Amino acid sequence: MHETELQDLSDDADYAASQQQGSRSISGSDSGKRSMSSEPDGAEVVYLKDNVTIHPTQYASERISGRLRLIKQGSSLFMTWIPYKAHSSGNDSESDRNLYTIKAVPFTDIRSIRRHTPAFGWQYMIVVLSSGLAFPPLYFYNGGVREFLATIKQHVFLVRSADDANAFLVNDIQDPLQRTLFSLELSRAVSVSNVPSASVSVSPAPSIENSQRTDGDSYDWSSSISQYNGRHRQKVQDPARDLSIQVLEKFSLVTKFAWETTSILFRESHNNDFGADERKNFIQSLPDNIRDTEHNNTEKVPEEIPVASDPLEFDKLTLVWGKPRQPPLGSDEWATFLDSEGRIMDSKALRNRIFYGGVEYRLRKEVWKLLLGYHAYDSTLAERDYLCSIKKTEYESIKRQWQSIPPEQAKRFTKFRERKGLVEKDVVRTDRSVSFYDGDDNPNVRLLRDILLTYSFYNFDLGYCQGMSDLLSPILFVMEDESESFWCFVALMERLGPNFNRDQNGMHSQLFALSKIVELLDSPLHNYFEQNDCLNYFFCFRWVLIQFKRQRKKRGWGTPENGGTIEEEERGEDKLGEFEYEKTMRLWEVLWTHYLSEHLHLYMCVAILKRYRKKIMGDQMDFDTLLKFINELSGHIDLDATLRDAEALCICAGENGEACIPAGTPPSLPVETGLSYSQQDDI
Amino acid sequence: MSYAYLFKYIIIGDTGVGKSCLLLQFTDKRFQPVHDLTIGVEFGARMITIDNKPIKLQIWDTAGQESFRSITRSYYRGAAGALLVYDITRRETFNHLASWLEDARQHANANMTIMLIGNKCDLAHRRAVSTEEGEQFAKEHGLIFMEASAKTAQNVEEAFISTAATIYKKIQEGVFDVSNESYGIKVGYGGIPGPSGGRDGSAAQAGGCCS
Repeated sequence: MHETELQDLSDDADYAASQQQGSRSISGSDSGKRSMSSEPDGAEVVYLKDNVTIHPTQYASERISGRLRLIKQGSSLFMTWIPYKAHSSGNDSESDRNLYTIKAVPFTDIRSIRRHTPAFGWQYMIVVLSSGLAFPPLYFYNGGVREFLATIKQHVFLVRSADDANAFLVNDIQDPLQRTLFSLELSRAVSVSNVPSASVSVSPAPSIENSQRTDGDSYDWSSSISQYNGRHRQKVQDPARDLSIQVLEKFSLVTKFAWETTSILFRESHNNDFGADERKNFIQSLPDNIRDTEHNNTEKVPEEIPVASDPLEFDKLTLVWGKPRQPPLGSDEWATFLDSEGRIMDSKALRNRIFYGGVEYRLRKEVWKLLLGYHAYDSTLAERDYLCSIKKTEYESIKRQWQSIPPEQAKRFTKFRERKGLVEKDVVRTDRSVSFYDGDDNPNVRLLRDILLTYSFYNFDLGYCQGMSDLLSPILFVMEDESESFWCFVALMERLGPNFNRDQNGMHSQLFALSKIVELLDSPLHNYFEQNDCLNYFFCFRWVLIQFKRQRKKRGWGTPENGGTIEEEERGEDKLGEFEYEKTMRLWEVLWTHYLSEHLHLYMCVAILKRYRKKIMGDQMDFDTLLKFINELSGHIDLDATLRDAEALCICAGENGEACIPAGTPPSLPVETGLSYSQQDDI
Repeated sequence: MSYAYLFKYIIIGDTGVGKSCLLLQFTDKRFQPVHDLTIGVEFGARMITIDNKPIKLQIWDTAGQESFRSITRSYYRGAAGALLVYDITRRETFNHLASWLEDARQHANANMTIMLIGNKCDLAHRRAVSTEEGEQFAKEHGLIFMEASAKTAQNVEEAFISTAATIYKKIQEGVFDVSNESYGIKVGYGGIPGPSGGRDGSAAQAGGCCS
């Protein structure tokens, strides 16, 4: 398991200011109580609550319930949360249990507690440590949050935030200025920059390594996380300033305001060593009112936002839930998933791993066949080899069906002629900027044609439709084998075939489900689309049809923000093509894991729309403008960050989200066979 | 860049007739035989001058395949002009014109100006549809007609601009209520400001006016 039980919140808006005094109080908190393991002698339990639960994923079956306690020893207060013993003896759940266990945490190490009381669903709270790290939300199934806070108040100094009645600051704070700062929202955090910077940059922020040591070996900070950080470490010279500027400039939104705020946050957290991707993600996670602040508006803080605010507090959500991406699965690690005969021992763990990092290029040939369902996870290497040879013969015989049609017969076979003409026209218009397919008489382009035509005979009813060549091209690129590509494509079409139905019902059902999910997760945005006649969601059509391929700018249109052109993309069009091609493959293998949901691509759509919700509603975009805007986002979507957002949204939507998606909506298998799939994959 | 008017155009017609190439030739003055096939819709824009007035054309280039018709139909909304394109070397693309026209009539506003274009006229040796047939079809259905070549650029400029001239004429004649954007026309400076903002821009790369 590569899970972390602590989520980094150091870049969260609400903790921006609290970092200030946090760094100061830290130095006094190493009082030796950290080493305390379980309940010490002479300790008194002052609060106890059962059925306090962590939701590691959206699935009810994976929730972990436990007992929350407050323990008083001497003048110190500790918090513990110990999960109940598992009913099932699955490895996963047991290690999850250990992973999430909160051993005695002294309140001197806790910065703040935020209480959440949603209109429906359980109350929960998020406990944030001085380091800026946070435990996952603790859900109180039997209530008791108020009592919990009241008990704490009796023993330690607890201040309610002036601006947010649900945020409570733990620890004594002497400096009234600092105390006020905590309660400030990020939109006003510009004032933070006026605080003498010495208190910011000199005090060492606790590093991840520190927390690791503190929390003992039961907190299995995955090795890949440190690897991941290590990779970025050399590159990051001056993490505080350079990156913040660089990243902000990339978004054409450099303002004095955002600039300073971000620099501070980066300086704050640079000891935490999180990588460039996180920073970028953070920038993207900035609330709209920061990111969209006009350049000439530096002094003024936007007090009023003309559009309805996001009911989900999307930006915070992402920080709490969206996990950092990992490096792709490599050969050594891949070998650990296989038994001696090549079976995948734990397909769910494999899918989890790929979900969070993808696969190294040279492994794709092998892994994609499994992900796509062409090979079964429990097949042996020998069985897979045997299947390949059988399938090769089968492919050849289907291919011969159309190859053996003589010209005389073709004259009387309009449907065939049309189909062949269409395929031939389209393969030369598919990914030609990728060197694998460029140039005249490229044999790979011929292979695309042969496979697509063969498929149109294999599935004559579906035939050929534009978009298929876009889906096949990366598969052939990876497989480098005609028959294997064909069968992988067949497996993919089992799921995505309805995208290409003549009546477009597969597309319509996905766009419908998308509208329901947006309604669930962002009703103001949904209402906006409804009022502006945009509920058909056709503006997401290409995203859904070809799974976010072609996120590359085709021509020199302006960027969404400023209407200008981006020169570097013009210059290196071909190179960028290859780069985006790789990105697409990475995204696809993540989507194909069906790890959190079969419909993560829909949550990707939601994530992007939410990212731009303020622009969409603030600019009063009508259907035409919105469609154009979305089209022009091509080349501007950070797939990793969007994946993280999508993950957060998917978890947040949980079962309510899945309920928005009618059974059989692609890429789910059609309803009649859907059952066997869900049993097999245990979702 | 400022403009007096913005016209929304839509390019329709069977797949592979050269819609995207016509657009690229018009906006970038180049022919790119190798390009990605259009999924959904692509956009292009260019300033032209008619009657000494800068006019911005915002052009929607649609996917041609039959399966996508239900989606394409939603793009007709608010188009002032349409280029209906067929390929003079492929008879079937001509045969399908009636169904395209039916779609356009049904989903676009009634005053939309439609230009019929027989593309690929550089391939005269492979011609499968005569110029007369194209003219005849246009006459029967009240369309403007031209044969053009996205490859050689022949008549490309003219096709886009004479369509604009026709729309402009309709505005002068009071056919459109230009304050109603469902006609696919936006008024630039002096009226509703266009998305490109200020009124101090020059008239841009003006193409030659219509004949």
